[in-house]
Amino acid sequence: MGRIRLAGVWLALSLFLGACAPSVPISQSKVEISGREAAARRIRLLEPAAIKLDTGYSRTLAQDSVWQSFGRLPQGQVFRPVGTIFTIEGRQVHEAYLVIEEQKLVGFYLPGEENYSPLSTAVPLKFGDIK
Amino acid sequence: MGLALAGLVAGCASGVKHSEMAASIPTIKQGEGRIYFLRSASMLGAALQPDIRLNDQVVGESKPGGFFFVDRPAGKYVAATATETEKTLSFGLDAGETKYVRSSPSFGLVVGRIVLELETPEKAKEDLPSLSYTGNALTPQAK
Repeated sequence: MGRIRLAGVWLALSLFLGACAPSVPISQSKVEISGREAAARRIRLLEPAAIKLDTGYSRTLAQDSVWQSFGRLPQGQVFRPVGTIFTIEGRQVHEAYLVIEEQKLVGFYLPGEENYSPLSTAVPLKFGDIK
Repeated sequence: MGLALAGLVAGCASGVKHSEMAASIPTIKQGEGRIYFLRSASMLGAALQPDIRLNDQVVGESKPGGFFFVDRPAGKYVAATATETEKTLSFGLDAGETKYVRSSPSFGLVVGRIVLELETPEKAKEDLPSLSYTGNALTPQAK
């Protein structure tokens, strides 16, 4: 009897947790990338950066990871990863590019949706330009 | 026991290995990109073999030890499996770009499911040679 009750609790918990994974916050309207450059600027992270997403998931930007300028949003300059991929996660998984303003990661550009997802707390980044 | 084992074995991909067919894989057409779907060979969750949808169109099945690919125009894509209504995967595809989508079993407290994630080219290329092709027959390229 106790096992049945425990299984019931697990089932309820499972359904509850599955249903409650929050979605990644996104801007109301689609965003347009401007200023795409042919010879794009490249940066290298000098230190790893831990990111706590508002969905409860976390990500780490690796030290020495290289990012290439993809264009600009009103919120900041957009950088895509070079030679790898980066995703953010909530209820869904989204490919994501970094949006950086004044040496801080302020949010993400989601190329699969042409949307912007802000971070509630900007994350300082230490990076250098690759010549 | 024998029947269960037979079922598990039958569930694994058994087509031509990527390493044997790499030379016959066509180049990507201009304006299109390529999306590989791959799944490691593992008995864990082998019975879960859902369809994979790309922008709501079924493009293949997630089979342990299998891979297939589709070529699509550059644009925005959402991939999902039939067992997963919530956890979709969205990504962009550039012309000439190759993206890798890995499917893998995930077990919650009660049920198992197949989830999709973007894989790095580096890891995907390590795994691909040993995986078997589960897609449609390839059309020979015009010389």
